[in-house]
Amino acid sequence: MTRFENSDSDVVVIVGSGAGGGTLANELCQAGVRVVCLEAGPHLTADDYVNDEWPAFTQMAWTDMRTTSGSYRVAKDFPNLPAWTVKAVGGTSTHWAGACPRFRDYEFAARTTYGDVKGASLLDWPITLADLEPYYDKAEIKMGVTHRHGRPPLPANNNYKVFANGAEKVGYRRYATGPYATNATPYDGRPASNQDGFNFQGDKTGAKWSTLVAELPKAEATGNLDLRHDCHVAQITHDATGRVDGVLYFDDGALHKQSARAVCVAGNTIETARLLLLSSSPQFPDGLANSSGKVGKNYMRHLTASSYARFEQPVHMYRGETMAGIVADESGLDTERGFVGGYYMETLSLGPAFLAAFVDPGAWGPRFTEIMDGYENTAGLWIVGEDMPQPTNRVTLNGDVLDQHGLPVPNVHFDDHPNDVAMRAYAWQHAAELYRAVGAVGVTDTPPYPATHNLGTCRMSERPEDGVVDRHGQAHDVPNLFVSDGSQFTTGAAANPTLTIVALAIRQAEHIVEQLKVGAL
Amino acid sequence: MTDPVSAQIEAEGRPHVPPSSLLPEDAVLRLVRVLKVAFPHKGFPDGPYERTAEHIIVTVSGNAFQTAQLGQGLIGLDAMRDTPFGDLEPAEALAVLEEIAYTPFFALLRSTTIVFMYSDREVWQLLGYEGESSDKGGYVDRGFDDLDWLPEPRIEELA
Repeated sequence: MTRFENSDSDVVVIVGSGAGGGTLANELCQAGVRVVCLEAGPHLTADDYVNDEWPAFTQMAWTDMRTTSGSYRVAKDFPNLPAWTVKAVGGTSTHWAGACPRFRDYEFAARTTYGDVKGASLLDWPITLADLEPYYDKAEIKMGVTHRHGRPPLPANNNYKVFANGAEKVGYRRYATGPYATNATPYDGRPASNQDGFNFQGDKTGAKWSTLVAELPKAEATGNLDLRHDCHVAQITHDATGRVDGVLYFDDGALHKQSARAVCVAGNTIETARLLLLSSSPQFPDGLANSSGKVGKNYMRHLTASSYARFEQPVHMYRGETMAGIVADESGLDTERGFVGGYYMETLSLGPAFLAAFVDPGAWGPRFTEIMDGYENTAGLWIVGEDMPQPTNRVTLNGDVLDQHGLPVPNVHFDDHPNDVAMRAYAWQHAAELYRAVGAVGVTDTPPYPATHNLGTCRMSERPEDGVVDRHGQAHDVPNLFVSDGSQFTTGAAANPTLTIVALAIRQAEHIVEQLKVGAL
Repeated sequence: MTDPVSAQIEAEGRPHVPPSSLLPEDAVLRLVRVLKVAFPHKGFPDGPYERTAEHIIVTVSGNAFQTAQLGQGLIGLDAMRDTPFGDLEPAEALAVLEEIAYTPFFALLRSTTIVFMYSDREVWQLLGYEGESSDKGGYVDRGFDDLDWLPEPRIEELA
């Protein structure tokens, strides 16, 4: 295990070890850059994981106190759980499902393409699909994404058979078992899926790409990575010139300082914005890198919803890779549907414990038990689409509530945009039609879960007044500060974000290495 | 108690349900009646309801306020109609619970049941869920693709 001195001001500090931070760490270490990666959670590995939803949730989820406000249903049903993400080495890449669609070209130019949508703070990204394509390739090869670069597809599991047959019946054609970042055959030293059906509880085999099993071990092998778990960063510090010079972090209750040449923040959208806000100072009174006032604003969580359908014959949806089924036919732009943006449908399964909690939060009585009694014959899908950024959807510090370290907790405020409401209603209806086409006897419209896709609170922008970071995720206000996770997304697009987060991290690493070479960092 | 799941649950023993002056002596029985109305699964035996009732009492046992609310709620249900709650017809009992669904008493009972009862191994078996699979090598050789009432779909993307 490599250990660098806390006073070593030559290291690059990365806050967070998930899809963004863990990938960036590996890319920098491979290029010879010395990295200290501070992870707030414990170092859980395959043997720690349990195939049981509530114990796994307790073990892995980020459950530090948070508060919510706004009109969205999560604020009522799960007021202290706005997001379902992971606090452990590997971050949320240890519980993601694996779906890997790319953004479409016009999704990088949402403002230009969709026009002035009332109430939405749409903005074009400062990069294009062409800028990102080489990095999408690298990310897909790194992650072993099925259906790409010669990687074989996963087979059809039971939930997919219902999903794909329903899709075909209603006229959809763009369905497949991927692209999906879990091995159908052994790849990169990791085995093929054994179809054990557990993703959100951690992967006990390593068949699924995560930074825990794929990036961090490679980074550690270079000798350039000092990975410290259970280290919660409380503040980023800066010198008199306004350049960051380190971070303050809690380890075992004590506060330490780690010096740094540059700091890259990848704490997942809520914590990344919170950390910049917590790092206010006389020079940065509204929070670090926040001259635009955009830190914490334009929080997006993707338009999500689910559909669970009951049939007269068994499905056993829980057997096999959870999300190895994607329908892309609704992912394009067609305003005839009554909304801008598009959405994907992806297979999804929950066990009885989580289905009971999430299928219709607050429900009980015969209508609820009918859903549960149909469990064995149930098929499920997730709806994931582009939601509209709004300046009032934002992460702020709630000074009335302190966490275990004495730090103000983040408050997440969210209201659905009318475009989100219209898309969700359309998507529920068409998902139900898909299932009815293959004989569903009952379909339940399930509302959004606590957010797994958290985006936008440090948006990328061409002009410093429009956002927090530039086209490389480098802060407009602070030259040696980077944002390296989904916070930098200018808009959300319809695609699941992990592939794009990884592509951006690879691209950002190249930029940092170049800046180090020329002495700019 | 012949099937392995039931036998295992029995072997693990029941939680100790602490007596409390704030609860009626037959609190478990009363709670089971409420749970059967609130979560009326046709095929469930008494076991899951009894374990859930006991769990609810254990959960509130460290909190006098919640225990008192639970005791008050269970006794108060009898006063909602001319007939005690336990003697009501199912439809009438359901109507009573709908009237009090917004109370902290019912909210506690509902939320605790959701988390506990649907993690019960016997309930999993009753619902047709197989639980842990990693220790059995997953489902790759155990039916992940055994659905046979629909045609085999295409898995590749269209060219």
